[in-house]
Amino acid sequence: MVTSLVIAPVDVPESRRHKKRIGGITIPTWIGVGLLALCALLGLVVLLAPPFRNLWTAQDLRATFLPPLSSGHPFGTDNLGRDLMWRTLAGLGVSVAVGLGVAFLAVTLGLMVGIVGGYFGRAADVTSNIVIDVTWAFPAILLAVVFAGWLGPGLLTVVLALALTEWAGFSRIIRGEVLSLRERDYVSAARVLGRNKVAISLRHFVPNLLPVTLVLAVYFVAGAIVAEAGLSFLGIGAQPPTPSLGSTLAQGRDYLTRTWWPVILAGGVLTLTVLLLNSVSDQLREHFDPRIGRRR
Amino acid sequence: MSYVIKRIGYAILIMFLASLVTFAALRVAPGSAVTSILDPARTPPEVIERYKEELGLNLPIWQQYVNYMANVLRGNFGTSLFDRRPVFDLIADAALYTVVLAFAAFVLAFGLGVPAGVIAALNRGGWFDRVIRWVTSAFMSIPNFVLALLLVAILGVKMRFLPVSGASGPANLILPALVLAADPWSLTTRVTRTAVVEQLGADYTRTLRARGVSRMRINWRHVLRNALTPVVSLGSVQIRTLLGYTLIVEVIFRWPGMGSQLVQAILKRDYPVASALALLLALVVVIASTVGDLLLRAVDPRIRSNQAVIS
Repeated sequence: MVTSLVIAPVDVPESRRHKKRIGGITIPTWIGVGLLALCALLGLVVLLAPPFRNLWTAQDLRATFLPPLSSGHPFGTDNLGRDLMWRTLAGLGVSVAVGLGVAFLAVTLGLMVGIVGGYFGRAADVTSNIVIDVTWAFPAILLAVVFAGWLGPGLLTVVLALALTEWAGFSRIIRGEVLSLRERDYVSAARVLGRNKVAISLRHFVPNLLPVTLVLAVYFVAGAIVAEAGLSFLGIGAQPPTPSLGSTLAQGRDYLTRTWWPVILAGGVLTLTVLLLNSVSDQLREHFDPRIGRRR
Repeated sequence: MSYVIKRIGYAILIMFLASLVTFAALRVAPGSAVTSILDPARTPPEVIERYKEELGLNLPIWQQYVNYMANVLRGNFGTSLFDRRPVFDLIADAALYTVVLAFAAFVLAFGLGVPAGVIAALNRGGWFDRVIRWVTSAFMSIPNFVLALLLVAILGVKMRFLPVSGASGPANLILPALVLAADPWSLTTRVTRTAVVEQLGADYTRTLRARGVSRMRINWRHVLRNALTPVVSLGSVQIRTLLGYTLIVEVIFRWPGMGSQLVQAILKRDYPVASALALLLALVVVIASTVGDLLLRAVDPRIRSNQAVIS
């Protein structure tokens, strides 16, 4: 997934170059970031705050498959009579948690391996390359399925499996960046001053790698959210009673002849979240990479 | 030539390590295969013991691995723990379905993606370009299982237009192939478009135009040829993504391929089947990236100076 992001360059429409900026960042980006933060906060609060728990767990078998706009259930209910609005929000919370967890782990691991590979000598480089290629032999979903056989299905399995595959592509990019950063004059200066490699990495590489990291981290969040939903859809991710957009979709599919609503709702929320994340990431990339803006 | 040998040797090394990973992940797994077939509470211990002995589960783990690999290299993947059929036969049945599905998706993605990208790039800023931009963004954002469910709901359940499950006829291939192709198609289209736009603005294009070479000739003979390098390298990456997605798409459409078989095997803890499938899928990915690397070197002479192994 990651290489494809690297290969696919961002196209910036002519019009976007002259947009107004606040703090150097365009207004649509701010709106995107704000919306994302709002959704994430809402989802996490509904998922984690005890007062909301009852809202998304309560079942009512006398009120199953209620259509949207029913009294008390603005978005209707599912096959067990659970409120779809609260279910979706709690599911979004799970998505956000999984996305952030995967992004954090993948970025940390990828940064470490990338810097070690790019700066700590030939042996480290060869070893890290082999590890990356082995990791790359497994599509993320395949590894998650294999992990599910090992650790049993669940969200932890999903987070670990995704983090342990997604770091590899990221690490390759970091290695490439480090190869160019290590030739800079200030790095030579630091070495002349007697700084060791770890200190140089932390002081000079990490801050310079932050823009790339941030842009890719947002992609990781989007990718992880989709993958979690997909795995939960297969029954390998979130286990009942944990809410998940993927599980809602799986249930919706079983009752597709009866109602489309859960599928539309959960699928729509999932798609919009990913769309928002992708566009924010694209805009951040444009912001951090002046070359893109100047290209014709 | 020495690079070719080196690259293949490297691929074999990677495969060996990948086989260790699948083996370890699936054999060291808690909840042994034996207890998922025989109820430990009601089966006499000696029966369980005999079963373990028969499956070689009492040997040290490295010996299990050596035995396993020795068998695998002879084409013997063991027997399914559940229906006692040879794993090889089970997979052979499923493999054909997956190959057909993945191939159809691959052809759709590249067959439609490259022309769409080229047309969009040649008409940059035109209506076709704008439509393509919107459609590709949409397809890249909508998770493919959501797309699958929507298509099932609209074309299958509502209109009863296309079959939505099973593999009883060629029409069953249409929906899964379309769903599987949606994301790679978008990416191919975008990458092609950007590459062509880049080549159109390159200095040599301007020179050719100044020399009076016809636009048709520039576009077809020069621009397209140079623009295809990133598309080729995208191809080998796409195979990895495509195989990952077959797991989900096959389950949704009940397509009896390797993906749905793997999910079944994992959920049932049928380790021989699961590890053989995981190994096979990894092998396909490794082969694809090796072939992709070699192909890229053949297509683009500039890469030859670079000795780094890239997958």
